[in-house]
Amino acid sequence: MKMPRLLQAVLVVVGIYAGFILVFDYLLGQVIPSSLLSMYMFFVIAGVFMVYTYTEESARELVAPIKALVEDPGKKRLRNVVFIIVPLLVAGFTYQRMSPSFEAPVELRSIHPAPPATVKAYGKRFNLATLENPFRQYEKSDPDKFRALVREGGDIYIQNCQYCHGDKLDGRGPYAAGLNPTPLNFQDVGTIAQLQESFLFWRIATGGPGLPKEAAPWISSMPVWQDFLTEDEIWKVILFLYDYTGRRPRSWEHE
Amino acid sequence: MRHLLAIAASLLITTNVWAKPGNVDNGKAVYEQRCVWCHGVDGDGESAATERLNPPPRDFSSAQYKIKTTGFDDIVPNDKDVYRMIAKGMPGTAMPGWDDLLNEQDMWDLVAYLKIFGGMEEEVPSQQVDYGTPIPSSPESIAKGRELFLDDERCSECHGEDGKGDASKGLKDDNGERTWPRNLTKPWTFRGSNDPKDIYSRISVGIPGTQMPSFADPTSKKKLSADERWHIANYVQSLAKATEVVRAKNTVIKADKLAGELPTTVDDPRWQQSEATTFFLVPQLIAKDRFFKPSNDTITVRALYSDSEISLLLEWDDRTHSIPGDEKAEKISDPDIAEDAVAIQLPIHIPEGMEKPYFGMGDAANTVNIWHWRSGSTEKSESLALLNGRGFGEIAQRDPAEIGVEATGQYQKGTWKVLMKRPLATTPIDKDIQFVEGAFIPIAFAAWDGSNSETGSRHTMTTWYWLLLKPATGNKPLITALLMALLIAGILFWWARGATGNKEGS
Repeated sequence: MKMPRLLQAVLVVVGIYAGFILVFDYLLGQVIPSSLLSMYMFFVIAGVFMVYTYTEESARELVAPIKALVEDPGKKRLRNVVFIIVPLLVAGFTYQRMSPSFEAPVELRSIHPAPPATVKAYGKRFNLATLENPFRQYEKSDPDKFRALVREGGDIYIQNCQYCHGDKLDGRGPYAAGLNPTPLNFQDVGTIAQLQESFLFWRIATGGPGLPKEAAPWISSMPVWQDFLTEDEIWKVILFLYDYTGRRPRSWEHE
Repeated sequence: MRHLLAIAASLLITTNVWAKPGNVDNGKAVYEQRCVWCHGVDGDGESAATERLNPPPRDFSSAQYKIKTTGFDDIVPNDKDVYRMIAKGMPGTAMPGWDDLLNEQDMWDLVAYLKIFGGMEEEVPSQQVDYGTPIPSSPESIAKGRELFLDDERCSECHGEDGKGDASKGLKDDNGERTWPRNLTKPWTFRGSNDPKDIYSRISVGIPGTQMPSFADPTSKKKLSADERWHIANYVQSLAKATEVVRAKNTVIKADKLAGELPTTVDDPRWQQSEATTFFLVPQLIAKDRFFKPSNDTITVRALYSDSEISLLLEWDDRTHSIPGDEKAEKISDPDIAEDAVAIQLPIHIPEGMEKPYFGMGDAANTVNIWHWRSGSTEKSESLALLNGRGFGEIAQRDPAEIGVEATGQYQKGTWKVLMKRPLATTPIDKDIQFVEGAFIPIAFAAWDGSNSETGSRHTMTTWYWLLLKPATGNKPLITALLMALLIAGILFWWARGATGNKEGS
């Protein structure tokens, strides 16, 4: 038996809704703001409606069960039940929407803001397009020296960064849960693997207060590391971040 | 058949309890990739991290395992005890659970390798914890547990009457490191979970190397039977504060409106009707001096307001009442005891867009108000400072009386309660926040435990959250909802009548 098209459409919408909740709230552990969710669902419903009413015939098929319910005298009892439930649902929904929600305002911020062309740190200017990790060359030319540098970077990391970014570099350090925004997860393919080492240098050296406004610098807990670490120490930490996670920095050459 | 079952069961137990063959070479490789950073190359807990971690990373060469399920006088842990610490981590410490990054075999190989540091690779535990007949939790069992907990100060001697870990006597572990009795109302800090079976294990084995003794030891004066230990385990589990758990979704402190006068004391019963919101306190790790070893970990906030005033109740567990000048308080404190303290931070203007002042005491363009309460010493009573901040260290001291902000605190059985209140509006209006009904107002908190070397920039804090003065709703939503229902019902019946009517007509 073919599934009624109305049921199909409803199932698709409900399935996508459940998918959002599953992915955001459970898999990613980031509760999706309800206003954002309702915006997405608006587009989903509009899209599904368009697909299911693409031809006149399909539109007719879609509304057939509803039409039958209203017009078929044999379905009188069911109709009466539906005609009581629907106004009640509308009333409940209206009441909920009219009552103040007290839900925190949504704050959308850019997580990887576009870097400026040049950055001021350590009392000088760095050109981010040409800036390179001075230690990266040893990876090929002197592997022993490179291992030692990574090791030093690891010590600096564990002494300074693990509280938030975690021993596993997964952004779940012992104090991560008390911060908003939560610390970046370096194991994730969407973070350092997408960035050049110079970008990391900028983000580490100037910290939260060095972010552009679209990235909401006022809530970032990232310290201004040029106050605590030397340039070389930052470059060593960057070596460690890539080495531990097994990721490669993005570079201009390959693109 | 029964024989077969018995053999299968004993096999199961054997493999669970004793050695699972681990590959030491692979264990070493994994250790050197993942564990050296804190536990050190030699497994002695000496590393770059040691100085800044509390508790410090475990020294495997000491051959001492705190969380284990072998007999109380048996120093050797079960392999599965060590495995569990690796897989699930140690809650309340920097040790994470590794089961999402390492596979099972890697972790068993680590177990085999770790035992070598303590010279335990050949040793087999001689005894296991005797679980007797487990007693499931029930109100009767919990009541019995409470009696045993308090009887002769068996547990309350250190853990305190309410289990908040506040009855400290300045305990030290075998290495001379300071240790603190666990706050039993905070299960998320239990190193080995708050499942009654795990609590039972701790009570039975004790925590080796610390002052937590075994209550299964027949030579102990405070010895308990297996049944009694189950009752205490059930009681301890029941101590968890359900209302004061951090919920990531709760970021708004909702102030209810009261008619007439607001509470002026911390134990006014009206506070209990106000919704509590709890936030994590994290150490101040951002500006100089950074602070790494906090003692307070959460703060619970309630708020009420009237036509003219707002009142906030801040509540947090603090294991010590820090009173500078008091002999007893100074004895259990770190050197240089200071007052306990708490602070509320608010922007001086309610932000119109997304931009707020920098959460670390504001910034040059956006000033914050800070209401900083201190608990007092033997010489002086509690006090409140009013500060306007424009960044770390950019602080202007003002007179709190000028705008009528007041604070009063009370310490009882391991918990501080501090009430702060202020008129909704002040003059002049541009130096202080003007509280408005229905607006989301950024709010942040900081706390200091004066016995834990917390002064100045060394403290715990929260990020920005929200304060909302809940506006009265009125009956508009109800009336609109009823009208909508009538309208829809009308349309539906009109449609149905039209449709069926047409058919009859045709």
